[in-house]
Amino acid sequence: MTKANTVKRLALGVALGLMGSVAIASAQETIKLGLSAPLSGGGAIWGKGSVFMCNRAASEINEAGGVKVGDTSYNFECVAYDNKYNAAEGTKVAQTLLNREGVKFIGGSLGTAPVKAMQSLTERQGVLLFTTAWGSSIKGPKYPLTFTQMNTPFEILPNLIPYVSEAHPEAKTLAMLNPNDASGQETEEVANKVWQDTGIEILTSDFYERGTTEFQPIATRLAALDPDIIDLGGSPPADAGAVFRELDALGWDGVKVVEVGTGADALKATGGDAVEGVYMGAAVSFAGDDISDHQREVNEEAKADIGESLNAIHIGFYDSVYALKAAMEKAQSVDPKEVAEVMPDVTFRTFYGSEIGFYGVDSYGSKQQMQLPVIVTQIQDGELVELDRVVPSGK
Amino acid sequence: MQIAIQLILTSLQIGAVYILFSLGLTIIFGVMRIVNFAHGHLFAVSALVVATVVSWLAARGFPVLPAYLLAVVAGVAVSMALGYVMYVFGFKYFQRDMVGSFILSIGLVLLLDGILLEIFGGAVRPVPEILPGNAEILGASVTIQRLFLCAMAILITAILYWALTKTKLGKALRAVSLDHEAAMLQGVPYNRMALAGFMIAAALAALAGALIAPISIVTPVIGADYLIKGFIAVIVGGLGSIPGAILGALFVAAIETFGGFYLDPTSATIAIFVLVIVVLLVRPKGLLGHG
Repeated sequence: MTKANTVKRLALGVALGLMGSVAIASAQETIKLGLSAPLSGGGAIWGKGSVFMCNRAASEINEAGGVKVGDTSYNFECVAYDNKYNAAEGTKVAQTLLNREGVKFIGGSLGTAPVKAMQSLTERQGVLLFTTAWGSSIKGPKYPLTFTQMNTPFEILPNLIPYVSEAHPEAKTLAMLNPNDASGQETEEVANKVWQDTGIEILTSDFYERGTTEFQPIATRLAALDPDIIDLGGSPPADAGAVFRELDALGWDGVKVVEVGTGADALKATGGDAVEGVYMGAAVSFAGDDISDHQREVNEEAKADIGESLNAIHIGFYDSVYALKAAMEKAQSVDPKEVAEVMPDVTFRTFYGSEIGFYGVDSYGSKQQMQLPVIVTQIQDGELVELDRVVPSGK
Repeated sequence: MQIAIQLILTSLQIGAVYILFSLGLTIIFGVMRIVNFAHGHLFAVSALVVATVVSWLAARGFPVLPAYLLAVVAGVAVSMALGYVMYVFGFKYFQRDMVGSFILSIGLVLLLDGILLEIFGGAVRPVPEILPGNAEILGASVTIQRLFLCAMAILITAILYWALTKTKLGKALRAVSLDHEAAMLQGVPYNRMALAGFMIAAALAALAGALIAPISIVTPVIGADYLIKGFIAVIVGGLGSIPGAILGALFVAAIETFGGFYLDPTSATIAIFVLVIVVLLVRPKGLLGHG
């Protein structure tokens, strides 16, 4: 073998090796899913659980072979940043995810104020956004790249409030309390209308600052009005529990509602026995025979990891990953705009166990809302019990 | 009339915690001339340790009250140990340095936020009811647990007041607070007094955290709300003034309660900040401030 031939063979070998490694790399690529969620402060429990569920869904999909687009299999990787549940940090997180990390898909975003900051960038830069944020103002044909990954008051309240009203026909008056931020104000707006449509007289509708720890003055005011129903709307479960405990000490005993209450653990932790009978619209019960092994297993893992049972917010971050997989495979593309175009028509298996798609033409003007079941739960004998499950109809 | 009594009792109950909290802040400022934004974390650590230990002991069959008392000892000990570390490795080098101590305490806040979240997680920690039942006072309803907290706050405040006015240590602390150079010329060891003041403040925060744990929302961020109210109380009362801190704390609690009842919770919060602005405009050194 001449020296020239040896060099040629070596060059050919190196070239083939490089081509092979490129081929292997292209067969197994990674798609980053950006997450903007509170990972510190009072909302950390929501954010940490959400990151857990995104990672869980991503690892399930990756282990099953990834997302198949053409000849390429893509793995998901969740990249989370702390938005501290406020707009200023939400803006920084949006900039970091989109401009530094180069993320093209937001697998989940939590908190109306930081989400609005995020959306102002995602729609402009052609990034697909999944969010738990409420409010009709963030959805609609004007925002074709935005999708909602959990039920909002628009879906929950028309099912929950009539249920409570029918269960307590003697209740005629109501006092409402919500956190004084975008989420609370949007919840109050919808709740106010639905309660009035149900024929309930609203005695007061107050707001309090998120982060409040002393609820005695608030409870004194609410108890003095002596309403038949007290609805704590979008209050975090821990706050709601503290309010009910103070109300109990003041001798008030009526119908208790936390419309978008997400979990029983924090409610019981602060409220103790005083939260008995509380109705909630965004909590998930993992007791009973209807729960699958998969749901129970994931919930146990989550409890060990974050210290609380899973709730609707956390589950939204799981479902969005499967929705993205379904849409990418249907579009046979990983271009966010092409994926967003097919998203309204895909179906996927939700963590709740059924095959679902998107709807929302009637409420928002376009199909951007996951068609998730609305679950009415109540605390009975200290346990969270599922009372009713409605799969919303409509386009 | 019953409503008025209920509101007064509510003010006193809330004020009791604010007093313990603001006394610590004002002692630190008086002795060291620094503002400690990490004071709320001493409070939070104590509450978190109490919640963890009580639950752990109760799950192993301990009666709740002895479990709580043991937990209080543990909570106060851990919180004071943290206070000691904060002083020895941090604030000791920034005494009478407002800017330096400000930056240090903000750094500590961020660091401790992360550490507490990592150790205790973000979930609310349940604390079983220690003293169950309600009491009727002139027709108004109060929980026994809140009454106990009030009684303890009054007792602790009385002991502190006595110690500051009657003991050698208290007199030395007051002397340092009034004029540290003159005090040193009289032989008062300033560094030891600074450490003593810091540790007394840490103990007050720890006790407040341990007492509030059974009736509040115990998470790593529990100190934030009390820190803001505590600062408002000492600013209204006068930075460095013990009677001022007590008066300011009761003022804040009264506005929060009466404003929250007759207006709404958000208006009450705004009213508290308006109060600070008015006091600072009329008496820039606070109601009882002299420094």
